[in-house]
Amino acid sequence: MNPGQSANPHAEWPSALDELAVADLRAWLPAQRWFAAKGQAITDVRVTRSSTVFDGDPGLRHLLVTADDEVYQVLVGVRDELTEHLAHSAIGGRNYDATQDHELMSRLLDLFAEGATTGGLAWRAEPGIRLTTGLRARPIGVEQSNSSVVYGDRYILKLYRRPTPGPNRDVDLHRALARAGSAQVAEPVATVALDDTVLGFAQRFLGGAAEGWATATASVRDLLAEEDLHAREVGGDYAGEAARLGAAVAQVHADLAAVLGTEEVGADAVAVEIDQMHGRLDAVLADVPELREHEERLRAAFDAARGLPGMTVQQIHGDLHLGQVLRTTSGWVLIDFEGEPAAPPEDRVRPKSALRDVAGMLRSFDYAALHLLAGEEPDHQRLTRAAEWADRNRAAFCEGYAGVAGDPRAEGALLRAFELDKAVYEVAYEHRNRPDWVAIPLAAIRRVTGGG
Amino acid sequence: MTVQDTSTAPDAALGLAGIPHTGEAVTADGHLTEPQAGDFHHARSAPPDPRWYKSAVFYEVLVRAFNDSDGNGTGDLRGLADKLDYLQWLGIDCLWLPPFYASPLRDGGYDISDFRAVLPEFGTVDDFGYLLDQAHKRGIRVITDLVLNHTSDAHPWFQESRQHPDGPYGDYYVWSDTDDRYADARIIFVDTETSNWTYDPVRGQFYWHRFFSHQPDLNYENPDVQEAMLDVLRFWLDIGIDGFRLDAVPYLFEEEGTNCENLPRTHEFLKRCRKVVDDEYPGRVLLAEANQWPADVVEYFGDAGIGGDECHMAFHFPLMPRIFMAVRRESRFPISEILAQTPSIPAGAQWGIFLRNHDELTLEMVTDEERDYMYAEYAKDPRMKANIGIRRRLAPLLDNDRNQQELFTALLLSLPGSPVLYYGDEIGMGDNIWLGDRDAVRTPMQWSPDRNAGFSRCDPGRLYLPTIADPVYGFQAVNVESQMNNTSSLLHWTRRMLQVRTEHPAFGLGDFVELGSSNPSVLAYLRTHGDDVVICVNNLSRFPQPVELHLSEHDGCVPVELTGGVRFPAIGELPYLLTLPGHGFYWFQITRPTTGEGESQ
Repeated sequence: MNPGQSANPHAEWPSALDELAVADLRAWLPAQRWFAAKGQAITDVRVTRSSTVFDGDPGLRHLLVTADDEVYQVLVGVRDELTEHLAHSAIGGRNYDATQDHELMSRLLDLFAEGATTGGLAWRAEPGIRLTTGLRARPIGVEQSNSSVVYGDRYILKLYRRPTPGPNRDVDLHRALARAGSAQVAEPVATVALDDTVLGFAQRFLGGAAEGWATATASVRDLLAEEDLHAREVGGDYAGEAARLGAAVAQVHADLAAVLGTEEVGADAVAVEIDQMHGRLDAVLADVPELREHEERLRAAFDAARGLPGMTVQQIHGDLHLGQVLRTTSGWVLIDFEGEPAAPPEDRVRPKSALRDVAGMLRSFDYAALHLLAGEEPDHQRLTRAAEWADRNRAAFCEGYAGVAGDPRAEGALLRAFELDKAVYEVAYEHRNRPDWVAIPLAAIRRVTGGG
Repeated sequence: MTVQDTSTAPDAALGLAGIPHTGEAVTADGHLTEPQAGDFHHARSAPPDPRWYKSAVFYEVLVRAFNDSDGNGTGDLRGLADKLDYLQWLGIDCLWLPPFYASPLRDGGYDISDFRAVLPEFGTVDDFGYLLDQAHKRGIRVITDLVLNHTSDAHPWFQESRQHPDGPYGDYYVWSDTDDRYADARIIFVDTETSNWTYDPVRGQFYWHRFFSHQPDLNYENPDVQEAMLDVLRFWLDIGIDGFRLDAVPYLFEEEGTNCENLPRTHEFLKRCRKVVDDEYPGRVLLAEANQWPADVVEYFGDAGIGGDECHMAFHFPLMPRIFMAVRRESRFPISEILAQTPSIPAGAQWGIFLRNHDELTLEMVTDEERDYMYAEYAKDPRMKANIGIRRRLAPLLDNDRNQQELFTALLLSLPGSPVLYYGDEIGMGDNIWLGDRDAVRTPMQWSPDRNAGFSRCDPGRLYLPTIADPVYGFQAVNVESQMNNTSSLLHWTRRMLQVRTEHPAFGLGDFVELGSSNPSVLAYLRTHGDDVVICVNNLSRFPQPVELHLSEHDGCVPVELTGGVRFPAIGELPYLLTLPGHGFYWFQITRPTTGEGESQ
């Protein structure tokens, strides 16, 4: 999997960092989780920009690599001798993925604190933030689209693997919410940028936090171990958490609306939204035959929202699910405001209905309820219990939301359309990646559209 | 002795004829004579150690319930003294005795009718001195409850006060012509009381009481009351007691326009109490009972700048129900949250923490939602509820699940604070919810499978409360004797854990830092005191769980499991992976590899 590992580093790659071969990057890039076109061979790789961050041994080189028109950020460490641990991150020869090197990553904190500029890269603390340096760095594991490093128990630095020029939604929305005094986001502390491209974003680290997905699935596990008890009766009942989560999401929406404004759009904008749902459905229907039996009812459900005279749009999270929320010791926090990963940048920044976030979260509760049953022989008892859990916690989430902002269920047709649109997307995703799981969104579509 | 009409003699209600007591005589100027410490034997001192309470393990024992030496069906001080060898073997550092003073027993002895006499069925002041002496001989300390706020209405002070408004005791209590003062003070026992004022037909005035109407509040505005109460402290401290749990401390003073709780002058008086201890009896402790949020309770430690100048200890009330919630929810957050909200305390202060005690499992420090949850989970029968709480013992609360009992005890012994065990929980005793009030958890200690559980030689019908006799928790099945003979028993396990705790100062004196992890069902934390670094990892779920801990700060160190001494793989740069069985826990000491050890394998 990693060609660099097999080579004797000293034989083929004698000294200079610049000798990092394009061939090595070509082999290494597709194996990275954050690589966009996973599993596809790369035809064209070029190092489009290269600068030195740290000289010496170990040294740190900052690269922008263009692979088949996608730009990737790669931090390359170079050492005369790779430790056993870093050998696993070798790119080729003496070069390796520097995000796995706690020594080099730890020194980045000094650059932020000093406000240094290295080879055109501007390392800056946020105004009013005095960073504590000398903290031990540790890379954190599995991530889909970026790489992150935690400093002590204090900061987390996210390095965008596919940085794009122009405004960075993640940074901008975090700043806006922090200015509004939001308790539902982690405070921004520093950024590193190249001209108008944000390369990395550091925030306060939420040490004792656990992902919403992990807390929700712990509750489901507790429920399914009982079988004879209803969701409201088991000790692991999640409704209280779900309600608090709903309130937190509503508070973020209210803060974003207050700071960045809202807009009333008319029936034509609603129609555009509905047309796009139909368009996405067309594409998925072509790939997934199981969806065809639901086509008519799906289209009817989309069109049910068409009659609306308009809707309110604003900045929202854009990709909200239980993996994007953290339970901390003081409540729920939302992370990663980059927006929908699949959408083009211009679409990500467009104001949208807050109901999209609500729909994303409702779908996520459904997934949490059913994930243990994916791939199992259908068992009516377990399915019934799981559905109870989903209903109970979806309702609790909406209750919590309604206590802070408007009740999302008041706009049932639109919320239903968003939820089904999301489910259609999930059908396509699961069909491609996890066929055993395709039953989860299909069951939801069947239930929401009232199909047998 | 001044001749008095016996029905109005100030000591008439005491029932202490023939025993030294307050009000045996009245001086010419109207003062009651009171027993003096010099009249009694003084116990030898406990070994000197000014910070002993910070790492001590406390054991709450009801004198009535532990051991009956004279066969009258009620436990007594001599009986308790006879069981000190057992408590020493178990590894207890300090006994906490709920009140054993003379009392009409209308509030479990918290209605004290003479601060300077012992309830006759428990013994005498000299019996208490003997208990203290024997305890100190074994390195065990003893503290008891003292109610500063009020007395029983049978106390000779109150009898004098109501009969002689102009006498020396006339202002010992809070009297008023009307019942409308201090209207902002809440009524605590809403089930039984409708007002904080009660009319006394003898004096023709209302008297103030924050608790029951038979417990008039002392008037701390009166300097004589302050002096009298300080002398009560001195009386027992002279005999040799190691400290007091001060009951109901927030209520000593009243002030119009306030809720009459936590007033500055109340703190001033506590500072006076502390000064008496520090100046005259160093090494003794004051423990505040204030059932409030930790952020408010810290006030009772006093000035942090000088290490604290009020109480040495205070109970941490909200932690306990949250341990139950966390395990039932399989989520660390109920515990993490309350610890994150707990402010730091002065250098000389310590929390007291507990799982169960003689009261109900109080649910005052939880939200309504959480209270409903606790009732639904832990009080499935309405008889299990009492006031705002649940009246059950630890073992039945946990469905007698040994794994959970061990997990709960491990949490109690390793979270920040000095643990307070409740008598009988070390053997997993049960409760009897068919007994009235909170008696469910106050049944006789189960020593053996013999008659009356070995607690008393009396006729079983004469016992103050029946022994537990059900097939699961009954004394034939659950008793000290059989568990002493079985090294895998809960009793032996508890003893072993107490030994381990004693060996590591980090548990009592160490800093507490929670170690987050991605698994919400695992609660992990670091306790650090100098070189002593202990990691505690607790699986709150009934299912096995993995957890990755970020310990790279301790790169190269070796975790050594504390109960068995097994060396675990060295900590490296990567997250440290552990797997835990359902409701399992680990305690590790983190040791620096010495030369020649710990190189990479």
